[in-house]
Amino acid sequence: MEIAGLILLIIGVVTVLSSLGVLLSRDNFYSALYMSLTMILIATTFAVFDVQSAFILIAFIFIGAIGIITVALAAVFRFVPKKVPVDWLWVIPTALTLAVLSYTLYKYATFNLSATSVDVSAFQSQYIFAIVFLFCLMVLLMVSILNIVRREEMCSR
Amino acid sequence: MFEVAIVLITAMVVLLIAYLTAISSRDLIRLLISLEMMFGAVFLALIPVFSIPEMANTAFGVLVIAIFTSSSELLILIASIVLLNRIKRDVSTDVVSSGGDTL
Repeated sequence: MEIAGLILLIIGVVTVLSSLGVLLSRDNFYSALYMSLTMILIATTFAVFDVQSAFILIAFIFIGAIGIITVALAAVFRFVPKKVPVDWLWVIPTALTLAVLSYTLYKYATFNLSATSVDVSAFQSQYIFAIVFLFCLMVLLMVSILNIVRREEMCSR
Repeated sequence: MFEVAIVLITAMVVLLIAYLTAISSRDLIRLLISLEMMFGAVFLALIPVFSIPEMANTAFGVLVIAIFTSSSELLILIASIVLLNRIKRDVSTDVVSSGGDTL
């Protein structure tokens, strides 16, 4: 096996182990820390394939903002929840997803993977409206949430 | 040769673990963590798309949209956590008496 494949395998194994840590840890704070580690490893996988723009986006925005807020929330509302029995009916959608993913894996397992870098200037011209609409969506969402929270405050007085 | 297999198997396992975490969660923080793990699995599954030169920009677009979606989900869940904590003094989903799954 080539050195890049070996590095990828090691990163994959550690990613799976850290995501298992999320599931097995009963304290939400440690789960959030394991989640951040999983995300960092996922961003590192992008770096292995030299997709630097995606690595920066995931590392700085996804982990740097969203991940840290989740860790902070888990630290603020820190408690160890009770052990919860799982409803086994959930096995059906999980098995369906597993089947779809397994078929994808079977179909593309021998696909030659050599990631190409993103042309950011072409991306900006192609997706400018999508980005503008996404920003508008975020602003509308923030305003709506502020309205809901303020309305709830007024009701509770 | 089997790099795609490694990436896709990792994505699959992370997604299934995120599913299990979401199913077994009984508070909003854990639900938030599991949803972010699901987005992580989506990011991993996007890596093979980056290797098709014509699709690289599209894959980056999907990545940006996924990050925006994740941010929106974070906003909504933070509002839910704040409101639930203010009303019920608890962030456990057991205190929700109507809507959603049977508790």
